Amino acid sequence: MAIKKGQFTIENLENVQINIGSVVSSGKAEEKEKAKGPTPAPDIHGLRDWDMRLLKRYEPVYSPICDMCCYCTYGKCDLTGNKEGACGINQEAHQAREAMLRTLTGASAHAGHGRHLLNHLIERFGADHPIDVGPTNIKAPVTQTVLGIKPETIGDFVPVLDYVEEQITQLLATTHIGQEGAAIDFESKALHAGMVDHVGMEVSDIIQISCFDMPKSQADAPLVDVGMGIIDSTKPVLLCIGHNVAAVTYIMDYMEEHDLFDKIELAAICCTAHDMTRVNPKAKVVGSLSKQLKYIRSGIPDLIIVDEQCIRADMMRETSKLHIPVIATNDKVMYGLPDRSKDDIDDIIRDLASGEQPGVLLFDYDKVGELAPKLVMKMAPIRKEIGITALPSDDEFRKLASSCTQCGACVIGCPQGLEIDKAMEAAVEGNLTLFEELHDKCIGCGRCDVECPKNIPVLDVIEKASQKVIREEKGKLRTGRGQVGDPEIREEGVNLVLGTTPGVVAIIGCPNYPDGSRDVYEIAEEMLQRSYIVVTSGCSAMDIGMFKDDEGKTLYERYGGGFRKGNLLNTGSCVSNAHITATTIKVAAIFAGRDITGNFEEIADYVMNRIGAVGLAWGGSTQKALSIGTGCNRLGIPVVLGPHGPKYRRAYPGKAYDKDKWNILDARDGSEHNVEPAPEHLLISAENKAELMPLLAKLCFRPGDNNLGRMIKLTHYIELSEKYLGVLPDDWHIYVRGEADLPLAKRGELLKILEEEHGWKIDWDKKKILEGPARKVDISFQPTNVPRLCKGASE
Amino acid sequence: MATIELDTTKNAVPFDKANIPGPKMAKPVQAEMAGKFISKAKRPLLIVGTAAGDEGVIEAVRSMAEKGIPVAATGSSLKRLKEEGIDATYVNLHALVSYLKDPDWKGFDGKGGYNTTIFLGHTYYYASQLMSTLKNFTKIKIISIDRHYHPNAQQSFGNLKPDDFLKALDIVVAQL
Repeated sequence: MAIKKGQFTIENLENVQINIGSVVSSGKAEEKEKAKGPTPAPDIHGLRDWDMRLLKRYEPVYSPICDMCCYCTYGKCDLTGNKEGACGINQEAHQAREAMLRTLTGASAHAGHGRHLLNHLIERFGADHPIDVGPTNIKAPVTQTVLGIKPETIGDFVPVLDYVEEQITQLLATTHIGQEGAAIDFESKALHAGMVDHVGMEVSDIIQISCFDMPKSQADAPLVDVGMGIIDSTKPVLLCIGHNVAAVTYIMDYMEEHDLFDKIELAAICCTAHDMTRVNPKAKVVGSLSKQLKYIRSGIPDLIIVDEQCIRADMMRETSKLHIPVIATNDKVMYGLPDRSKDDIDDIIRDLASGEQPGVLLFDYDKVGELAPKLVMKMAPIRKEIGITALPSDDEFRKLASSCTQCGACVIGCPQGLEIDKAMEAAVEGNLTLFEELHDKCIGCGRCDVECPKNIPVLDVIEKASQKVIREEKGKLRTGRGQVGDPEIREEGVNLVLGTTPGVVAIIGCPNYPDGSRDVYEIAEEMLQRSYIVVTSGCSAMDIGMFKDDEGKTLYERYGGGFRKGNLLNTGSCVSNAHITATTIKVAAIFAGRDITGNFEEIADYVMNRIGAVGLAWGGSTQKALSIGTGCNRLGIPVVLGPHGPKYRRAYPGKAYDKDKWNILDARDGSEHNVEPAPEHLLISAENKAELMPLLAKLCFRPGDNNLGRMIKLTHYIELSEKYLGVLPDDWHIYVRGEADLPLAKRGELLKILEEEHGWKIDWDKKKILEGPARKVDISFQPTNVPRLCKGASE
Repeated sequence: MATIELDTTKNAVPFDKANIPGPKMAKPVQAEMAGKFISKAKRPLLIVGTAAGDEGVIEAVRSMAEKGIPVAATGSSLKRLKEEGIDATYVNLHALVSYLKDPDWKGFDGKGGYNTTIFLGHTYYYASQLMSTLKNFTKIKIISIDRHYHPNAQQSFGNLKPDDFLKALDIVVAQL
């Protein structure tokens, strides 16, 4: 019998318990393959060559949000105009450092989440708890590709997170004064941070999927309710906020054991909502991050449980006013509250219910599980008796709107520049439609409140005016399915690589949308109708489920949840984003037979040249969204940001006009070929949805497309450009390698344009292109950017 | 001294209140002066965003295009411009600032880069952030004739009321 980590007792020996800590060696461990591959567990410089290939083509462009550096006491230093500061760093390198630091912050948030969860789950389930993510032979694709190991148990992830944490520490060290000074190397480091972020995310999600019996590659995962209008506020309402489901599972277990799901509304905001419903679909999803302050201000929650990430810093100020107790369950967010973990549950309930303490820390999750349901049932009648009124009454609303002087302070304070002043003016006249329209565009930050010189609680006014639409906010969300299983990859991989499935559009990230949450629904719908595979996660996944067609059905009800063309997959919470990159890795492994183990560069090269996947963080606002996107970038997946995206300070646009940047090798013989710019950009932004739509289609082009695939992709690119921009795109012809690439319905028309406007020679009898394209299609072409992967290479 | 018909230098504070980039911020400019600067530019490029299609603004775009200023249509502005028969080239704004930064870029007409950029009709925060690329990494002049004060331009109108904004555009165009 192999010695396992954990605890056991010896039969017939009372009071004897043996604890086994780390197992240094066991038969099983020795059998396990050791890390292998060309670049197992790469250090900061381990994939630098690959980064340089990417950055040579996609030169970083910086958009400083602040022209100064204030890192040390030499400063502030004015770096405007790419000047150097006192330490010698110039604006370009400083901005690269800033972007890297934000990427690192995002990566550490996911890794910190993962470490907390891993420690907790090992204690609860044992290190030998097996990994079970569904039908797959590649249980942890990102981990295997980056570290060169194949975890089998959750305990196997301990050294994986050790690696991630080491990389984060080393990367953070480079931001100190007197360390890195070159922008290009900060970029390489940022890409490294993005890559390790995907490892950290993968660990976090795989261990919770395995331990909590969440859906495992389940295309028909259950549908759950989502929206601010779904909560029955006549019942006690227990609201959870954050990303780490560990503590909340105890609440759900207690509620199941005591038949409380009919008596208490258990709901959540942000990614904890995803993971709660993956554990138990009886829980409800209020919505995304942008609903947080709005929902607290509604006064509906009777108790709030917070864990970590994306939780408002002003939580206690907001909740105290409304007599909503807060229980903080994770030491990343403690709000200065007293630690009551060792206290008696009844004492804690007494102090919270009386308001003697507005909130407590509670790190004993058994106590959280029992206390939360008991407390919320006690709080609901107390709050009702006190007569907590959150939003203004009708009279108060009219007075507040009338007190607005139209000074516009709220407008210039609003990150979206929403015309709140005009809505106030209309409301005074009894017209609430402007506020109702504004409600969906409002990201719920509350900056308007802070700016108002008349102390009008502007957000409350917006929400009061929008009660009618809020009551109708009832949607459906398919719970997070986790990974894409191997059988699905086998079935769909060929379509994706050949391009007959036009692409994968991954709509991820936060709700800082430029024009309201309806955008992501409409983007998803358009791409689904065009047979793209739409993958989603996090806040975007929730917002996509908030809108319905004429028959009252959401996209999750209209489209399947499998990995096949025209399907809509919700992978789950933020950390489930790792399954999106993992899917492309699996295509390389299963469809193309590539050895992924410790072989990041080759796999990224394959993904970039073969798999038409594009990420979209349309409302990306957090550092995590940047790190997720940067991790996609290192794997060769282009990402588009919304118009707030340049605030991340750096992008990787391509230059289609610079032909030298689009040389690529044929792995069959190492010959160099000049190819079309595909994908044209690695990280770019768009001003609005209309500009975005054709851009998404264009970024699915790959040098490896066959004729049929290119024809399909080109059809969508042209159609989307004509639909949203009103024109045939001016660069469509550079993606044509032969007449077979042309959309069937427009072939004659396009051949004529090629001849007349671009000087191509056409054989009109055969409708063939004789001269013009930069290259012809060669179905055996093996595009690569890595010389060592070419036949006969010396490496 | 001549009376200024419309003062476009008033209220020159970032429209997004916290958008204070640093010591170097745009000089508020009178519409007449902005027009003169544009008219003297050797290689100007009018960069318009989606709001360039708004009533009153599109007329200014047309006038500038007819004066020979090439128009870069960013966002989804091209559709409206084409409907109005205005010659323009679609380009993604984020990509465009990277092209403008490239000394080897030949411009839309193949004759070389541009020395003056004129911004009009943009989503405020988007354009502001991308102007910062030009401000920090190029020698290109940035003139904002948009409705709100853009600190990352070299010259910008202050925050204007809608009617004053349209009047200001008329004044600019009259100088060309």
